[in-house]
Amino acid sequence: MKESPRKTTVTLEDLLRFKRAEQPPAEFWDQFERGLRTKQLAAIVEPRPWWAPFIRVGTRLSRYQLPVGATAVLAITFLTVREYRTADVVQVYEPAGIEVTSVAPSVIEVRKAANAGSLSAPAVSSAPMVLADAPARPAASAEPRPDQISRTATVVGSVSHVAPVSSELLMATYIAENMAKNKLPELDQMLGSQVRKEPLSNVNMPGESRGSRLLVGAVWQASAGSSNDSALRTNDQATRHLTERRLTESDVISRLDVGGDHLGVKF
Amino acid sequence: MDAVKTFGKTLVASPERQVEADSDMDIVRRVQGGDVAAFDQLVVKYRGRVYSVVYNLTSNREDAADLTQDAFIKSFQSINRFQGQSSFFTWLYRIAVNSTLTHLRKNRLRTFFSFEKINEDDKVSAEVIAALTDDTGADHETFAHELQEKLNEAMQKLSIPHRTVITLFEIDALSHQEIAEIMNCSVGTVRSRLHYAKQLLQAELQPYIRR
Repeated sequence: MKESPRKTTVTLEDLLRFKRAEQPPAEFWDQFERGLRTKQLAAIVEPRPWWAPFIRVGTRLSRYQLPVGATAVLAITFLTVREYRTADVVQVYEPAGIEVTSVAPSVIEVRKAANAGSLSAPAVSSAPMVLADAPARPAASAEPRPDQISRTATVVGSVSHVAPVSSELLMATYIAENMAKNKLPELDQMLGSQVRKEPLSNVNMPGESRGSRLLVGAVWQASAGSSNDSALRTNDQATRHLTERRLTESDVISRLDVGGDHLGVKF
Repeated sequence: MDAVKTFGKTLVASPERQVEADSDMDIVRRVQGGDVAAFDQLVVKYRGRVYSVVYNLTSNREDAADLTQDAFIKSFQSINRFQGQSSFFTWLYRIAVNSTLTHLRKNRLRTFFSFEKINEDDKVSAEVIAALTDDTGADHETFAHELQEKLNEAMQKLSIPHRTVITLFEIDALSHQEIAEIMNCSVGTVRSRLHYAKQLLQAELQPYIRR
């Protein structure tokens, strides 16, 4: 180490500058050159990885990351809001579909058309002609929109003048008219009020199902009679007696009847 | 790309650097035109500076040699994409520093020292050694080795960002602005890191500081 002029103070900066004196010897660079040449040739021969172009593209696109990100957020927001609105529309008509498949499709469609207010009185009377065919249609097609209902009813109303009138159609017509006139409480509850209820509330108790079934049967039998008066009478009678409570009670005691002096078993 | 432009402008602000950048650009154009041998001129011109930066960051001469070679190879492979928006040295410097930082992060837990010899002709180092050995009467060469070891140990105790700032500012004599551009942070952050790193080094190297 060569002698140098006296320096009394040594600061941190002086110590760090001391590191600048750490330099490789001249022969180091010969070795460095050889190593570099070897690596250079290897890099030329070696194929570049398949993802290298993607890195280049990504680097170029990185300057546009803000507009690209903002556009993506806007697109996702738009799609989400649109899906949300579509789901709302479907939800409105879902209860009607449950009614159609579970109870009495022809009657319900008439009821829906009447509720939508798109049918006039003659249209209501002629609508069951088509609706008698409704059970044969798939369930999905049994959920028309209100405008479709009115359009179908109108078309069918015009067809009804040509089509032959069968006894089934007459019965369906009678049921619709009867329902409109008498406002049967059970049917009203089953058909009208359920539309506005939540889907879970549409699940009926076993007694209610039985009541509906029996009531429809009673009305059906009544309508099969020749005279309208007798049918109405039978209908009133059935409505009066077939209350929910009685139906439920009859469910309990229907099979076994034990009394003080007798034992009855119903099959 | 804007940051590169700014960094290039800061580095070529002085007339000497502007002349240097222009001559480098001529060589780069020749290489881009197919004169591959012209790239050797750039290697010979910058290998010492690049190696010094990498060595002071890693404190390992073998790693420094490998990383310097890798930096030159990467720049050679990508030289067709170099458009002169910054000076060549700036571009090469960034490649070398980024490669070194990646290497240090990968090998954070594996640190081996292998030191270069101290240049005996360096004036500053001779003054420092003379000042520190006057009181003790120790052998200059032995003391120089000891100081070198302590300095590198203290440097390696710093975190990678603090070590980088100290290396670029104190050893490579870059400005705060240039360091901020290289490390992609603000000048205030550079100053803060520099201050903190100096405090740590001062505590570590207290026995060697004479006031």
